[in-house]
Amino acid sequence: MTTFADERERLLYQALRIRRVEEHIARIYPSDCIQSPVHLSLGQEAVAVGACAPLRAGDRVFGTYRSHAFYLACGGSLREMMAELFGKATGCAGGKAGSMHLTAPEVGFMGSSAVVASTIPNAVGAALAAQRLGTGAITLAVFGDGATEEGVYHESLNFAALHRLPVLFLCENNGLAVHSHRASRQSYDLMHHARGFGITAEHCASGFDPMAVRALVEMAAQALRAGAGPRFIECATYRYAEHVGIGDDHDVGYRSPADCAAWRAHDPLILEAARLERFEAAIAAEIADAVTFAAASPWPEPDALLRDVA
Amino acid sequence: MGLAYRIEESATLVTYRDALWRTMHDALARDPSVIVMGQGVDDHKGIFGSTTGLATTFGATRVFDVPLAEDGMTGVALGAALGGLYPIQTHIRCDFALLAVNQLVNMVAKYRYMFGGRFRVPMLVRTVIGRSWGQGAQHSQSPQALFAHVPGLVVVLPSAADSITATYDALIGEKQVPVISFEHRLLYDVAFRAPASAPEWPLAPLGSILRRRGRDVTVVATSILVLEALRAAEHLARTAGIEVEVIDLHCASHPDREMILGSVARTGRLIVADTSWCAYGVAAEICRLVCEHDPSALRAPVTTIGMAPAPCPTAKTLEDLFYPSLRRLSDEIAALARGTRQHGIELPAEASMADVYKKFKGPF
Repeated sequence: MTTFADERERLLYQALRIRRVEEHIARIYPSDCIQSPVHLSLGQEAVAVGACAPLRAGDRVFGTYRSHAFYLACGGSLREMMAELFGKATGCAGGKAGSMHLTAPEVGFMGSSAVVASTIPNAVGAALAAQRLGTGAITLAVFGDGATEEGVYHESLNFAALHRLPVLFLCENNGLAVHSHRASRQSYDLMHHARGFGITAEHCASGFDPMAVRALVEMAAQALRAGAGPRFIECATYRYAEHVGIGDDHDVGYRSPADCAAWRAHDPLILEAARLERFEAAIAAEIADAVTFAAASPWPEPDALLRDVA
Repeated sequence: MGLAYRIEESATLVTYRDALWRTMHDALARDPSVIVMGQGVDDHKGIFGSTTGLATTFGATRVFDVPLAEDGMTGVALGAALGGLYPIQTHIRCDFALLAVNQLVNMVAKYRYMFGGRFRVPMLVRTVIGRSWGQGAQHSQSPQALFAHVPGLVVVLPSAADSITATYDALIGEKQVPVISFEHRLLYDVAFRAPASAPEWPLAPLGSILRRRGRDVTVVATSILVLEALRAAEHLARTAGIEVEVIDLHCASHPDREMILGSVARTGRLIVADTSWCAYGVAAEICRLVCEHDPSALRAPVTTIGMAPAPCPTAKTLEDLFYPSLRRLSDEIAALARGTRQHGIELPAEASMADVYKKFKGPF
């Protein structure tokens, strides 16, 4: 059992674990044992662990195709995630989801979609159910800045605000939609936009700091549980890897290595590497176990092809 | 007006609208997880009378108006279903459901399968096919094939009060599958005879329904064209002794293959009459079924009947040409039964079907 000096160290450990998992995915990806597009969260781990820390049993999280971090931060099984990436029957979705549709309903991670913004209204609907059924649970809708351009995002904010639903809209703003910068896509300010619906909006400039994210989400969660209506939080963050795949594309011209260096200069997983060193061996062993489990697991049986269609 | 199937004199009359209202009411009364959400469900018109007063009876938290945001509201319904509610979502025209195609096709249809069976999506989307009085290109479409094409969605087209009752009562709160229903606006006022006892035909909520037995021609029909096929069958039986078998396809996504193939094996002649376009649609799909499984059963080429291959025009003269008529349906059946277009059988007078259904209130 891993023990921690404090909550900050616990969250840094979680972020480190996610980073090492994804670095390992990148390492083994060229072997083609993972036959699925991977959208890595490298650089964005702190948002996930900070946001999930205040959640309770029964709360729900809806994610995106870039959800390795949120799946693990929610407590999803690493073995089942790795097996899912390998396309094995023991994966969290029996090999039908791959990296882009991770799910772990047993810990409240409800699913993730490869169509941008598509799970946002689902999160609002889950919040509607929680409100109508009086469960006291809250729902977290996680999305990137690009998703805010989709019509369904605006529809979701409106309905959630109208019915004062217990949903937190959490934007991971890495400033990029694939290779497009916000300046070429958005006429609006995210915070002002959310406030236009009467939604309390907060901004976290230090998305590299899991405690900063945690504090804002904790405050929002309290308001949600008190029935104060939906909340919006924008977390500034940075994507180290390319949009999809394992490469570093700072050399192709759409973003500069200097931007990356500036962000890495704040990254506690780098700055505090020495302090976190004591966790590395256990994390490496856990990853090795998950990969062994995935590799040794069976492929889905042929009859799985037509199972669970309707 | 000819009646196609056996009338029980003791039967009471139920309109399509009444059946809808009753199923909505009873579902809300029976199951506290049921909610009804849609534009205008709580107004004085209540989705053509099918939800009138229910918000008052069951409260605004269970029957509520929604923003004009079809995709978002479909996503909300999906999320609510995942969260333990049974949502019934309405679209007063099925054309508006096309705004929700992303949620319906990418999310609702896939939520169970894509996540390895970890979730169920129990929900009903009610949509209404519009027709007549210049509904035009965007208030008249009948896109059942678009949705039936997608694995994971269940698509039904209730043609009568009994299929609404049987289907909705069996589905709502019970079946853990997403269902899209295409109701027909012209049927809302039509009264149907509710049998005092159980119907003699099996009425599977998600299957097809044998509406009339006959030895000469099989007509597989959807929605209001089931009634038109029954009227044509009655006319041809009376005037020419032609006996038409009428299969109400009902569940476009899961047609009763055995029923259709068995019927075609007996009659050797098939007409498919669908409320939509024939190309790539229900008509094409039924032909695929027969061609793949038993093409030798056919003693003549198949005839398909549907909307003309154009958007729906507004001018009544064009609109009446756009839709298949009772006269045309009768003519096609007679030609197929006799093996010649010069069949010499007296046909019903040419009349606008819309006019007929506006005046004709049943009973069927």
